[in-house]
Amino acid sequence: MAEENGSNFRQFRDGVIGNNPVLVQLLGMCPTLAVTNTLENALVMGAAVTFVLVMSNLVTSLLRHQIKPHVRILVFTLTIATFVTIADLVLKANMYEVSKKLGPFVPLIIVNCIIICRAEVVAIKNGLARSLADAFGMGLGFTTALSILGAIREILGSGSLTLPGGATSLKLVQLPAAFEPHAWIIMVLPPGAFLTLGVVIGIVNQLRYRKVKGGAA
Amino acid sequence: MSFGALIGIFLGVALVNNMVLAGFMGICPFLGVSRKVDMAVGMGCAVTFVMTVSGVVTWLLVHAVLTPIGAAFGNPEALYFLKYVIFIMVIASMVQLVEMYLRKFFPSLYTAFGVFLPLITTNCAILGACLLIDMKPEYQNLLNATVFAFGGGIGFMMAITIMAGIREHIRFSDVPRCLQGPGITLLMAGMLALAFMGFTGIGK
Amino acid sequence: MKKFVEESWLILLLGVVFALMLAGAQTTLSARIRENQQRALNEAIGEVVPHVSRTEVIEIEGYQVFKCHDEQGQLSGWAVRASGSGFVDKITLVVGLSPDGERVTGLKVIENVETPGLGNKIEGEWASQYEGLSFAKAIQVEKGPPDPARNQIQAITGATWSSRYVTDIVNEVANRVRPKLAEHR
Repeated sequence: MAEENGSNFRQFRDGVIGNNPVLVQLLGMCPTLAVTNTLENALVMGAAVTFVLVMSNLVTSLLRHQIKPHVRILVFTLTIATFVTIADLVLKANMYEVSKKLGPFVPLIIVNCIIICRAEVVAIKNGLARSLADAFGMGLGFTTALSILGAIREILGSGSLTLPGGATSLKLVQLPAAFEPHAWIIMVLPPGAFLTLGVVIGIVNQLRYRKVKGGAA
Repeated sequence: MSFGALIGIFLGVALVNNMVLAGFMGICPFLGVSRKVDMAVGMGCAVTFVMTVSGVVTWLLVHAVLTPIGAAFGNPEALYFLKYVIFIMVIASMVQLVEMYLRKFFPSLYTAFGVFLPLITTNCAILGACLLIDMKPEYQNLLNATVFAFGGGIGFMMAITIMAGIREHIRFSDVPRCLQGPGITLLMAGMLALAFMGFTGIGK
Repeated sequence: MKKFVEESWLILLLGVVFALMLAGAQTTLSARIRENQQRALNEAIGEVVPHVSRTEVIEIEGYQVFKCHDEQGQLSGWAVRASGSGFVDKITLVVGLSPDGERVTGLKVIENVETPGLGNKIEGEWASQYEGLSFAKAIQVEKGPPDPARNQIQAITGATWSSRYVTDIVNEVANRVRPKLAEHR
């Protein structure tokens, strides 16, 4: 039992660090680039994807003995599309402004490769606990990667980092006022997304190489 | 609807709001299938074709099936919650149909870009085009919607082909190890996006 | 037939279950979603027309026009929802007209994707320049300091085109909707 827990935890941790879906596996690039112009968008998107990922892994894992191999992709797609619609409705009802900013990228979670990939690789072969651990890990890893990008782009693009929430909005970082007139507007525009992600992936690769080298020595 | 407005829609989606470089849709094939120009062109053709067909079919389903049935129950929008499920099913079956059709009637075309067809189901540019057509009121008109879907496909083909051309050139360049592969591709895509920003305001 | 059922019972069952779930979510949430959309529009109308307590929707020349009444039921102004081409993509805005349709009482851009940091300034403080301008002649965009006597506004530095497109939409409303307001008074 203890070992089982250990492997579940490893499955969870792998999703966040060792096998991060965005920064290492390079899956789910579209929302990663599109909605990371502010931290808030990145967090909401991360939460929506995590929800769909958890529900899809849950359903797939529960039905894994019933699903016939040749119809599995159809079942996955049906499941994912359903939960994405629910997520979309909930966002529209409770966070109208953010859902308007995310626009088509909420329904586009349907074709996010991370989700179908996790259903195919993990959930269809493993029990409930393991599949859920995997879904939460991957979801958290996705959210973390998006938040890092969102934070970098928001700070450089507007000179400050705010977590809006009406009266309770929280200013996390404020660059010196001298920076503001020269804020790198390009960072919140499309090219900034590509450039930031390219550099972040480069840094992550560099860290991984160093780790491998350290391990060998 | 004037011809000029159609050209405006086409240029708008192909250049100004290019699906890939400004809309961030279809990034996965953009990064994955852009190593060689001929592969990129094949992929671009397949995407353009499926995008146009799915755009038209989903438009017809929303305006000729979902809306009238909903209206019969008193609220035209009553069945709109089924949209996303229907869209993805239409795209998946379109891809299957196109694949079967090509294999039977145009084997040469099938060998040229048939291998890309299964990949297209999870290409977000296609679903994205259907969703955008559905979201924006100016595409209430089928002709506009068709031109939009076609232009989106052409824009995708353009972006991925340019990218493949650049990547063929830098194959033997001395790229820092940590940036090899996706890193340098994303940085180049950033510069390409910067260049495409120059199209803003075209056709006005 | 037996084979068909054997192969596909799961998909059919899932289809039914999922459809029921979606229908449930839709019925629970749709009222709130509609409320949200309505509130966003009402807030915009409240910003461009003073003293609005009740609105009535009419259609003039294909524009959505909101006839606004104050607490006493008096006509307090008109709000017109209009959209047109912008520099990047479509701009949608709400423009307020005084009860007699002679002056602009306010302007609020509700949807735009103009360049962040430059063109998207149209959604902020900049729009207040329109307040009080006359509809008697076309509003002009001036790069330098504006001359209110000549019905001018100052363009955003670095986004002259975005400023022009907004003004074009307003002038279009002035030409097409304003002459017809009298019929609905």
